[in-house]
Amino acid sequence: MRDTARRLTLQYVVASTIILLAAGVMGVIMRDSQANVGRLGTNTWYALMTAHGLGAFLGWAGFAVMGFAFWILQEVGFELRRFGLLMARLTWWLMVVGVGGILVSTIVMHFAGSWVFLYPIPFHSAGQWGKWATAIFLSSVLLAGLSIVTWCLSIVDTVIGPGLHAVSTNIFNRLGVAMGFGYLWPKRFATNPEQVPYVVIPLTVIAIDMVIATLPLAVLLVEMIIETFAPSVHVSALLAKNVLWWFGHPVVYLLLFPAVAIYYYIVPKLANRKLVAGNVIAIAWVIAVIANVLVFAHHIYLDYPAGTAQATINTAMQPITFALTIPSALSLYSLFFTIYRSDWKWTGASTALFLGLVSWLTAGLSGVVNATIAFDVVVHNTLWVVGHFHHMALLNIGFAIFGAIYYFAPELTGKALYSDAMAKWHIWLTFVFGLISFGLWMVQGLEGAPRRYAVLPHRYLSLSQAAVPFVIALALTQLLFVYNIVQTMRGAEKKPRAVATAEAMFLLAAIAAAIGVGVIGFFLGRDTAPKKSGGTAASTVTTPAATSTGATTTSATDATKALFVQSCGTCHTLKAAGTSGAVGPNLDDLKPSAARVAKQVTNGGKIMPSFKGTLTPAQITAISAYVSSNAGK
Amino acid sequence: MGGTATLIAVFYGVVVLISIGVVVAVAASTISRGPMDAVKAAHRERNWLFIVIALLVVLLFGTIFFIPYGKTAGRNAQVVHVTAFQFGWLLSQKTVRENVPVEFVLHSQDVSHDFGVYNAKGVYQFQVGIVPDYTQKVVHTFKTPGRYDILCLEYCGLDHDSMQASLEVVP
Repeated sequence: MRDTARRLTLQYVVASTIILLAAGVMGVIMRDSQANVGRLGTNTWYALMTAHGLGAFLGWAGFAVMGFAFWILQEVGFELRRFGLLMARLTWWLMVVGVGGILVSTIVMHFAGSWVFLYPIPFHSAGQWGKWATAIFLSSVLLAGLSIVTWCLSIVDTVIGPGLHAVSTNIFNRLGVAMGFGYLWPKRFATNPEQVPYVVIPLTVIAIDMVIATLPLAVLLVEMIIETFAPSVHVSALLAKNVLWWFGHPVVYLLLFPAVAIYYYIVPKLANRKLVAGNVIAIAWVIAVIANVLVFAHHIYLDYPAGTAQATINTAMQPITFALTIPSALSLYSLFFTIYRSDWKWTGASTALFLGLVSWLTAGLSGVVNATIAFDVVVHNTLWVVGHFHHMALLNIGFAIFGAIYYFAPELTGKALYSDAMAKWHIWLTFVFGLISFGLWMVQGLEGAPRRYAVLPHRYLSLSQAAVPFVIALALTQLLFVYNIVQTMRGAEKKPRAVATAEAMFLLAAIAAAIGVGVIGFFLGRDTAPKKSGGTAASTVTTPAATSTGATTTSATDATKALFVQSCGTCHTLKAAGTSGAVGPNLDDLKPSAARVAKQVTNGGKIMPSFKGTLTPAQITAISAYVSSNAGK
Repeated sequence: MGGTATLIAVFYGVVVLISIGVVVAVAASTISRGPMDAVKAAHRERNWLFIVIALLVVLLFGTIFFIPYGKTAGRNAQVVHVTAFQFGWLLSQKTVRENVPVEFVLHSQDVSHDFGVYNAKGVYQFQVGIVPDYTQKVVHTFKTPGRYDILCLEYCGLDHDSMQASLEVVP
C-alpha cells in the first residue's frame, strides 16, 4: 500500500510542477507587459490573467498539497482504502482535464472573464469570446471544483479509517476524533492507545469545509452554463458574488491547511523532537472549521448596495476573520518553538520550511490589513492585495511544497536528492527575488495602483519597470529546482558539495548573463524604437482633457473639426461636428475620455481600424481632446 | 500616498520588523543551542492565545468605528447619479462644490464595476463597488477644489483599464 500512495503522490507532484512552470511563464509575460517590455494585446493579457490565476492557484498549489496530503497520511498510519483511492485517482483526472480546459478556453478561445469570472461578466464579452469559450471555461472550472469535492471525500474516507484508533464506530464521532476533539473532550472522543496525530487535524478540517464551500459554487456554475445558451435564465449578481466568495475564501485554505499538515509533519522530524503543542491548539482548529466558512464577505467589504443586508454581513466578518487568524498564530507558536534550540540542520528542505514559516507570519500580517475594513477601503482592488497573496502563495505555500519535495524526494523517487547545495540556492534566491517582486506590488498598491489592469496609469510605470529584472530572475531561479529534480529522478550520481555549488554558480552566471542581455536589449530597443503610441498618446492628452472639462473648449480649431468629419464622421455621430454616422457608437452618448479616444483611434477596436499609420500622433491628440470636450454638447 | 495608506505602511513596517527579530532569534538559537523545556513551552501556548486575542480585540475596537457603511449625506447634499457601463461612466453632473457632502447614487448597466476616485496628482481618495441590478450609494465630501479622476477598479472586460471619467470640484 505504501507503494500505491508513493506513486499517487508522485503523480500529483509531477503534474502540479508542470503547471507551476507554465503559470510562472504567464506571470512573467504579464508583468513584463505592464512594464512595457513586450506589450501584449489587451484580450491576450486578460486571458493570460485568467489562465494564470486558476492554473497557479488550483493546478499548481492546490494540486501539489492535495498530493502530499495522501503521503503524509500514509506516513502517520492512515492508508488509503478502496473508496479513498478511487476518489484520489478521479481527483487527478478531473483536475488535469479541468486545468486543460481552462487553458484551451482562455489562451486558444480568448475567454478573459478573469479567474473569478464574476457573474455576469462571462456573458458580456465585448465581442472578445463566444458562447463556446464561455461554456468550455465554466465546465472546466466545474470539473476542477468537482476534483476538490472528490479529494475531500478521499481524505474523509481515509481519516476515519482504522489508522485513527478511535473507540467509537460512529462516523460523526470518528470525524470529531480526526478533527482533534479528543484533545478537548477525551472521554467522548476516546482513542486507544494514542491521540490522533496533529497532522490529521488540518486535513480533516479542510476536507469538511471544502465540501460545504464548493457545492453552492457548483450549482452557480451549472446555472451559468445554462445561461450561456439560454440568456433568459438569471440570478442575482449580488447573490452570485457572495456564492463565489463563499467558495473563494475557503479555497485559499485548501492551500494553507494541507501546507500546515506538511509543516506539522516535517518540522518535528527535522528538529528531532515532538511538535511543541498544548491541547489549546485543538481549540484553534475548532475555530477554524467554523470560521473558515463564515468569512467570505471580507472579499467584498466595498459592496454594500442600498436596501440589502450586505453592510451588516460585511461588518460581522471582520471579527470572524480576526478569529480565523488564531489557528495561524498558535501553529506558528508551536512550529517556531519546535525549532527553537533544537538539532535543526540547515538543509534545502529545512531552509524552505523555515523561510516558509517566516513568510506565513509576514504575509499573514499583511492579510490582517486586508481583513480590517478601515484599512481595506484603501488597499481594496489594488496591487497591495496581489502582493499579499503572491507572498503567501509562493513564499509560504510554495515553500512548504518545495520543502516537502526536497524532504520526500528520496522516499518518493527511491533516489538521493542530487544536490542539497543547489536546493539551498534555489530557496534563498526565490525568497529574496520573491520578496522584492511582491514587495514592489505592495508599495504600488499603497500608492493606489489598481490590480487587474493590462496597462497601468503612467505614474506607476517606473516601479513596474524596476520589478522586471527581479521577476525574470525569480523565474529563472526555478531552473535550479527543475535541474535538481530532473537529475534526482534520472538517478544522477550525488554530487559532492563543492561540485554542486560550482554547478549552481554556473547556472546562476548564465541566468545573470541572460538578464543582463535582456536589460541592455530592452534599453537599446526602447531608445531606438519609434515611440509606443498607446501609452504616450494617452499621457499627452491628459492635459487638454483636464482643462476642457465642464466647459466647451474654444481651442478646438476648425481644422480638427474638419479632420474629425473626414476621418471619423462617416461612422460616428457627434452633434458638435454635425456628423451622423451609425456604424460605431454614438459619441454624444458614449462621452469618452480623451485618453480612451486616443487609445481607440491608435489601436482600433472590434471593427474599427487602427489610425496609427493614417494620423500623426499630434492629430490623434487633437482629435481626442476635441471629441472628449465636445461629446454630448 | 494618502493618510491611511501611510498609516498602513508604518503599521505593517513595524510588525514586520518585530517578526524579523523573532525569527532571527529562533534561527540563531539552533546554532548556539541551550536548554529548552518543551513541556513548559507547550503549556504556555495558552498564554500566547490570550495575548493574540487581546491584540486582535484592540485592533478590532481601534478600527471598527471607521467603516464606510451607513453614512448619510444630510439635506443639503449634492446628488450625482452615476451610470457605469462597459466601458465608460455617465455622470449626471461633472461639477460639484467643495466642503459640501456629495451623495453618489450608482448603477451599472451590465457587469460589476467599481467607482474609484483619485485626485489630479493620482492620490487615491475612495472607492465603492457597483453590482448590476442594485443601487449603491456613497457619500464623500471633497475638501480641495480641482480635477478628480474616476477609474474602474473592478475588472469588467476588455477596456477595463481605460474606463475613465473626471469630475471637477469647484470652491
